[in-house]
Amino acid sequence: MPEVLTPETPTQQSTFTVALIGNPNVGKTTIFNSLTGLRQKVGNYPGVTVDKRFANIKLGKQEATILDLPGTYSIYPNSEDEVIVHRVLNGLDKENKPDFVLAVVDMSSMERGLFLVTQIMDLGLPMAIVLNMEDSAEEQGIKVKTHALYKSLGVPIIQSNARSNKGINGISELIEKKMFEKPQPFLNIQELLPESLSIAIQEKFHLKNTYQAYQLIRFHENEPLLDEGQREWLENQMDSSGFNIKQIQLDETQHRYEGIQTVLDKAVEKTDLGRKRLTDKLDSIFLHKIGGYAIFLGILLVIFQSVFAWSAVPMDLIDGFFASLSSSIAKLLPAGVLTNLITEGIIPGIGGVVIFIPQIALLFAFLGILEDTGYMSRVVFLMDRIMRPFGLNGKSVVPLISGIACAIPGIMATRNIGNWKDRLITIMVTPLMSCSARLPVYVILIGIAVPESYIGPFNLQAIALLGMYLLGIVAVLFTSWILKLILNFKEKSYLMVEMPLYRLPRWKDVLITMYSKSKTFVFAAGKVILTISVILWVLASYGPSSAREEAIANIEVPSNDAPQEVQDDYQSQLASAELESSYIGIMGKFIEPAIKPLGYDWKIGIALITSFAAREVFVSTIATLYSVGTDVEDELTIQQKLESEIKPETGEKVFNLATAFSLIVFYAFAMQCMSTLAVVYRETKGWKWPIIQTVYMTALAYVSAWVVYQILS
Amino acid sequence: MSTADKIEQGKMAVIESITPSELSLHLMEMGFLPGKRISLLQRAPLKDPLAFKLENTVIALRKSEANLINVKLEN
Repeated sequence: MPEVLTPETPTQQSTFTVALIGNPNVGKTTIFNSLTGLRQKVGNYPGVTVDKRFANIKLGKQEATILDLPGTYSIYPNSEDEVIVHRVLNGLDKENKPDFVLAVVDMSSMERGLFLVTQIMDLGLPMAIVLNMEDSAEEQGIKVKTHALYKSLGVPIIQSNARSNKGINGISELIEKKMFEKPQPFLNIQELLPESLSIAIQEKFHLKNTYQAYQLIRFHENEPLLDEGQREWLENQMDSSGFNIKQIQLDETQHRYEGIQTVLDKAVEKTDLGRKRLTDKLDSIFLHKIGGYAIFLGILLVIFQSVFAWSAVPMDLIDGFFASLSSSIAKLLPAGVLTNLITEGIIPGIGGVVIFIPQIALLFAFLGILEDTGYMSRVVFLMDRIMRPFGLNGKSVVPLISGIACAIPGIMATRNIGNWKDRLITIMVTPLMSCSARLPVYVILIGIAVPESYIGPFNLQAIALLGMYLLGIVAVLFTSWILKLILNFKEKSYLMVEMPLYRLPRWKDVLITMYSKSKTFVFAAGKVILTISVILWVLASYGPSSAREEAIANIEVPSNDAPQEVQDDYQSQLASAELESSYIGIMGKFIEPAIKPLGYDWKIGIALITSFAAREVFVSTIATLYSVGTDVEDELTIQQKLESEIKPETGEKVFNLATAFSLIVFYAFAMQCMSTLAVVYRETKGWKWPIIQTVYMTALAYVSAWVVYQILS
Repeated sequence: MSTADKIEQGKMAVIESITPSELSLHLMEMGFLPGKRISLLQRAPLKDPLAFKLENTVIALRKSEANLINVKLEN
C-alpha cells in the first residue's frame, strides 16, 4: 500500500508508549511500581525470552503504556538484556515502538547516567530525565543545579526520590502532559563517521540521521532484520571507506565522557563531607574474609528455616481447607461420575496448585529483599573467586540462588552473564538447584523419613531440608567442573559489576514481586498441573474392562454380617485392585522393573511418569492415587496417607526410610520439568543442550537413587 | 607506570590508559577513562576480585581486568 493512503496519526492520540530506561540500581523499578502498581503485566519480546514488563495506565482522559526496559549502562549491548534496549530504542521492534523515553539517572552517579542519556539524545527520540535518589546524593555532598543541566542538555528534567514517593506525582504529570522534548544530538557523529558512508547507508535503509546509520553499522552482525545481502553490502561499504568500527567506538566513548564532564562542571557541586560512607563501613562487615561468608551462610539458613516454618501454617490450612471442601461437596451433590470428577480430580488438583503459593511468595520476597538492599552484588563479589575453578563466575550465584525459587527465572537471569561459556555452564547446572517445586516433595518425604525432634534450636527436619539444598549445590559444582573440562571455548571470562549503596528494602516493591510471581505461577504452572490432575483422575478411574473384572473377581466378597474390620479390608483391597487394573496402573506396572532397584513400586512409577511435566505434580498425583477409591470423608492428609500405605504382599510400609530417601535423591537430580527444558531450548537456541541436560540429569538421578537405596535398605 | 591491580588497599591512582582488548570498550563505558582517579576500596577475601571506587560508585573487577587499566600510583 502506498504511504499516502495510510491515515495520518492524529496529533492528540489518546494512547502512547513511554519507555523507562536507566542504569542498573537507579530506582527505575521503584518508579515503575509507583506509577503502575498492580496493573503491570509480564510479556515477551518477539524472538527472545527477556521479560517485557509493561503496564497500561490511565492519565486523565488518555491511556499510556509504560514499558520498563532492562537496566543498562550503554545502548551498545554487552548482554542479551541490553540487545532489547537497543532494539526498542532504535524502533527495530515493531510491536514496541516508544513514543517517548523517560530516562532515570542516579543523582550520585550523574556521569554514568548521562552517558546513557546522551546516547539516547543522539537517537533523536523525544525524552525527559528523572534525577532520582536525591537523598543519597545529599548524603554524599552532591548538589545538582537542574536549571543549568537543562540549559546544556535541552531535555526536561524532574527531581525525585522514588523510595519516599517524592516526585512521583510530578512524573505522572509530566507523562500526562507529554512534557518530552526532542533534543539536539549531543555528539557530533559526523566527526567520527565519513559523510559519504553515512549518506549511502541512510539512503539504503531509510534512516533519519547519521547516528542511526552509525548504529546500524555497529549492530549489523547480530541484527536479525538485515538479510545476508544487506549485511554484505554494509561490510563492503565499510571496507571500501577504510572504516575501523572498534577504534571509532573507543573514540566515541571518550568524546562523550569529555562532553559530559563539561556539562557536569557547570551543573554539579560536590562537597567532600570527609566522612566515611555508611556503605563502606557496612562493606567492611559484609565483605569480611570470615565474617562475610558466615553472614551469607546465616542469611541462607534463615531463609530456609523461614520458608520451612512460616509456610507450614498456611500450607496446613490450605491442605485442610481443600480436604474439607471435597468432603462437603461430596455430601451436597448426588453421587455419580461428575461428583467424583469434582471431588477427586478437580478440587485436589486446584489444592495442589494453591498450596505452593506461601513458599513461592516467601522465596521471592527474600530474593527481592537481597536484591533491593544491594546485598546480592556483595554475594557476587564474595563468591566470584570461589566459583571460578568450577567454570562459573560470581554472577552465576544470582541465577543459582534464584534457582532455589524456580529454575526458569534463574536460567533467564543468566542473560546478564556476558560470557557465553560461563553462561552456558550456569544454564546447564541451574536446574540441579533445589527449586520450590521440589520443596513439597521434600517436605512430604522428609516428614515421613525424619523424626520431628530438635537439636538445640534447630528442627531435625529443617536440617534435613537444608541438607537437600546443600546436596543440590554440591551437584551444581561437580557438574559445572566436569562441563568446564569438557567444553572448549576460546572466549575469555570476565566480571564487571557495580556495588550499589546499601539501602533498606522497599516493602511495596517486595510485595509487588511476591504478588506478580505468585500470580504468574498460578496461571502458568497451575494450568498444566490442573490439567494433568484431571487426566490422571480419568486414567486412574477407568481401565480396560476385562482386566478390571478379573482383578475384582479375585477378591473374596465378605458376607453382609461380617465385622466392620473385614468390610473395611475388603473395601481397601477393592480400591487397590481397581487402581492396579486402571490405565495408569498398567503404565506404572510397565516401568516397575526399571525402578524396582531404586525401591519404588508401580504407584511411585506413575508419579515419576507424571512428574516429567512438572515435579510438583508428584504431590497431586500421589494425592489423586491414594484418594481414588477411598472415602473422602476421613480427611486424611497426604502425608498421613502415605505413611499408612503398606505393600499388599508383605505388609511392610511402602514409604520406608530407604525408599523415601532414594525418592528424595531422585527428585533432587532428575530433569522433570518441561517448562525448564523449553526455556533452555530458547536460551541456547537449539535442542542440543536441553537433550544433553535431560540425559545427564536423569542418569545422575537414577544412579544416585540406586546407591542411596542400596545403602539404606 | 603500574596497573590497577597493584594499587594498595585504600590508596589512590590516576588512570593513564586502557590496554586495548575485547574489554576496553566495556571498561570505558563503565567510566574507567584516562585521567580519572580511582582507589582500591576492598579486596575480596580470596584477593580477587577487587572493588574500586570511581567517582561516587564502587565497581568490582577481577584482577585480570584491573590489569588492563594502566595507572600512575599516588602516595
